[in-house]
Amino acid sequence: MELSDSVQKGLQSIADPSLFDLKSFTVLIDIAFRSLLSAHADHGILADPVLEHIERVLVKQCHAAATTCILEMVKQNADKSTISSCLEDLPFDAERIEIFFKSYQNHKEELEGVLASLGSQLPHINDVSWRLQYHMKNGHVHKVNEPFYLLSLNVENGGLEGSAKDINFSCTVEQLQDLVGKMKDAAKSLEKATQM
Amino acid sequence: MLLVLSEEYKEHLAFLPKVDPAVVFEFGRIAVEFLKRGINSKVYEGAARKLGFPITTVQHGVEGLMFLLTESSKLMISDIDFKDSVMVLGFSTELNEILLQLYVENHSTIRSTLTQLAPSLPSYHNLEWRLDVQLGSRSMRQQVVPMVTMLLHLTTGNSDNRRCCLQTNPSTLLHLIAVLEAALASMKNNHARRILRNIK
Repeated sequence: MELSDSVQKGLQSIADPSLFDLKSFTVLIDIAFRSLLSAHADHGILADPVLEHIERVLVKQCHAAATTCILEMVKQNADKSTISSCLEDLPFDAERIEIFFKSYQNHKEELEGVLASLGSQLPHINDVSWRLQYHMKNGHVHKVNEPFYLLSLNVENGGLEGSAKDINFSCTVEQLQDLVGKMKDAAKSLEKATQM
Repeated sequence: MLLVLSEEYKEHLAFLPKVDPAVVFEFGRIAVEFLKRGINSKVYEGAARKLGFPITTVQHGVEGLMFLLTESSKLMISDIDFKDSVMVLGFSTELNEILLQLYVENHSTIRSTLTQLAPSLPSYHNLEWRLDVQLGSRSMRQQVVPMVTMLLHLTTGNSDNRRCCLQTNPSTLLHLIAVLEAALASMKNNHARRILRNIK
């Protein structure tokens, strides 16, 4: 796992018992994980009384290094041996590695979810609503008398700014049967694929 | 249901009995042609010169026939009602027969042309799908996220089609199917059937 110089320097500081005793180390690591998972990071998250005696700039550097390192590990799906060897080089002692790894295991799944949701995506269908109408006549033709459906696909991330935007369209009964048939085909193939 | 024809309209068609029934038949053919492909005013000039009538008379005649055909197709009146409506014009039986034949032969085509004029939402045309599994991304190297990618083809009234590329996850797909099946089922319930039966 490659880490930049500034991240390595920050981690080295975290590993240094003269800068961070075990208690402040634990608090810092905990804060690093929490700040990655909270949607709107609290600005005062680093203002923990345990860290008060440590220089502000150093705390910030170390926090940045820890979060970068955590994200990189989750991104690469790092296992225990990779993490251990990486931290040993810095050098973290066995106790600190253990504390770090425990936290990592606790939060890994949640962090994976956050990372997987990043990046560009096609507009995503969340729901569909429908309405059955009966077309009787219009200005040009009378006695049309045909039932039809109005469908509205609720789509997320459809607009430019990622806002929800619906796709509205009409279809006849036959067309709706066709649409449902095709969706069922897809669902059937999906089921088959999961059984492989 | 009978057609209500104005006096002005009757005047416009009044010259038809003065010409040969074959000419009326030809006018009818032209009227149908114009309804399909739009009016071509050169035809009026040619016909007017041949028959020795003013252009406006010919134009009124053909457009009068077009009106007669569109109105009766729009209302979808029966053959008998059509005959009775035309009777008011005081034409000969032969002429009336020609007009009726024109109506019977062309009313379905004219109706389909008229249907296109009605305002409509984009309508469903086709759906293509494929199964994808997202294996990795810039922010996350190892993933297994199954996904259904769909391409929805929609037709809008003025022939420019729209394609929407969409995605959904398997459980949402099952949900969509369930909701739309309920929609189809609602066509068959008593309420809908009663309405469909009674509004004719």
